Amino acid sequence: MSLSTEKLKKMYYDMNLIRRFEEKVEEHSMKGNIPGFIHLSIGQEACQTGVMHVLKETDYKFPDHRSHGICLLSGGDKNRVMAEIFAKKTGICEGKGGSMHIADVEVGNMGNNAIEGSIVASGLGTAYASKYRGNDNVTAVFIGDGTCGRGELHESMNMAASLKVPLIYVLVNNGYAISTKAEQAHSYPEHLSDRAKGYEIPAEVVDGNDVEKVYSAMEKAVKRARNGEGPSMIELLTYRWQGHFSGDPASYRPEGEVEKWKEKCPIKRLNEKLQSEGIDKEELIKLEEDALKEVEAMVEFSLESPEPDFEDAMKYIYAEPYDNREEAN
Amino acid sequence: MRKIKFSQALNEALHQEMERDEDVFVLGQDVGRMGGDFGVTKGLWKKYGDRRVIDTPLSEAAMVGLSNGAAFTGLRPVVEIMFADFITECFDQIVNNAAKAHYMFSGQLKAPMVLRTANGGGFRAAYHHSQNPEAWLMNIPGITVVAPSTPYEAKGLMISSIRSDNPIVFFEHKMLYATAGEVPEEPYALEIGKAKIKREGKDITVIASMKMTEYALKAAEELEKEGISVEVIDPRTLVPFDKETIYDSVAKTNRVVVAYESPKTGGYGAEIAGMLNDEMFEFLKAPVKRVASLDCPVAFSPKLEDHTLPNYNDVLSGIKEVLDY
Repeated sequence: MSLSTEKLKKMYYDMNLIRRFEEKVEEHSMKGNIPGFIHLSIGQEACQTGVMHVLKETDYKFPDHRSHGICLLSGGDKNRVMAEIFAKKTGICEGKGGSMHIADVEVGNMGNNAIEGSIVASGLGTAYASKYRGNDNVTAVFIGDGTCGRGELHESMNMAASLKVPLIYVLVNNGYAISTKAEQAHSYPEHLSDRAKGYEIPAEVVDGNDVEKVYSAMEKAVKRARNGEGPSMIELLTYRWQGHFSGDPASYRPEGEVEKWKEKCPIKRLNEKLQSEGIDKEELIKLEEDALKEVEAMVEFSLESPEPDFEDAMKYIYAEPYDNREEAN
Repeated sequence: MRKIKFSQALNEALHQEMERDEDVFVLGQDVGRMGGDFGVTKGLWKKYGDRRVIDTPLSEAAMVGLSNGAAFTGLRPVVEIMFADFITECFDQIVNNAAKAHYMFSGQLKAPMVLRTANGGGFRAAYHHSQNPEAWLMNIPGITVVAPSTPYEAKGLMISSIRSDNPIVFFEHKMLYATAGEVPEEPYALEIGKAKIKREGKDITVIASMKMTEYALKAAEELEKEGISVEVIDPRTLVPFDKETIYDSVAKTNRVVVAYESPKTGGYGAEIAGMLNDEMFEFLKAPVKRVASLDCPVAFSPKLEDHTLPNYNDVLSGIKEVLDY
């Protein structure tokens, strides 16, 4: 199935939005305006955009910690996503989450977690909840090639398949777990996602830099899940242009590798596709400029926002009311 | 009032809460068709079927992960970890997900999940089926730790744990499962975070939970013959901890023994001793005495197990030591 030009233009905007967002995050991380570690997804925008364009707001999304784009495209207030990364009180998590722990539950972003594999098991639970309640909400869990070493992933895949829950494992394979290549650390036949098949979970491998291919693989997996046919995996082959975290010189990568992948830039590819469909170059430049403007507004909002107050440190340790004993017998 | 066993009291709580609330479901190894290794989930599968009672594979991380995720959507899972020793297999899910979800996402998520688990020695099952890991759980802000000592409390605290919006680790000492006590038939919920004075006294306070409560009460009875009046307090929940009840008692008796079954170093009694040192020092006439296991694993040899775990005589001599100080 081919996507409408309108839909592709929206995707083009979103991919630019993620790219500009990541660039600004890096800039302000370097300037010292953003504390802590930042994991950028420049080069992987098609994976996030293609998947998110298939999902509904009521679907459960579990981003991994290279997923600012998922948080942006979930449908919530984007200013508050940026402010969260700036550790500001106006952030979605009031500055307590930061880049690696952003949830926006109202729009189905169930939060990332800085321990890869940990949220995979949570995703099993939201997916089971959909089945329990008999609704058609699916769960999408983002994992990386590094996550494939986690026992939690294997335990979860086994249970997801046996319970037949509506779950999609989105394996974003960018080639490196920090410095370690998948083929060095793992044993598998041809693709990492071949392992899913051992649990009777169908897996499809697609070019993760082609947003249309990502969309269509995800669409197929989601349809299967909504039809009650159980979990699927899609493996998206892509590459991160930056190091593992902002500031990592990534000296572990062979010379010329980054350049080679930059030629396969997902944004450039979609740009060419849209031009070949007769979209005016100027119109695309306008979309790029609008995306930058939107991101600049997010930065301004974040820079102007206050930090959390000391009293916030002891807030939300326990859910209130703590005691529900009076609930009707 | 009728008397039932500790395990039956828990079973009744689960039946009544599942009946009351469609959102409550149970999962664990052998909890369905078999009714649980200790019979706590007996009859649930027959009544509610596969949807609400899941027999799981040996996958503690996925089981607790499933519970967390389901709880994030408002369901109320009760997950059985057959032996408390197996908590190591799902520790990440407890520490990094259940405990932190509410806090790190500024209250957007709640994890109303109960993790039930059988702890304690005396069962001749050694290293991996006998540990008392309650102190591991006490160092994780966000986790509630419940530890009942009687059938009455087991039922009432299980009901309030299921109804709580917070993640709870619920310890069931396996040597208590067969003990019987008076339990009302109707559902009732006890306050989490409230200690119980099990016996009033004026000369010394013994703080003891789970299996140790029984030893403390027996020691108190014995010492009464010698004219010594022992107050026995069962904290019932280790987090939150009822400082008020304990401090009032210490202000009255000025002497304290804390009895716990885990290794002495870093056990929950160590925290209580620290707490009293910090906040009640001027009321103490003697150092707080810890009666606990030797700092060694639980060995297989019954002779060694009995030697290393704290027993009635250890509690008795601990009390005398503090009185003689």
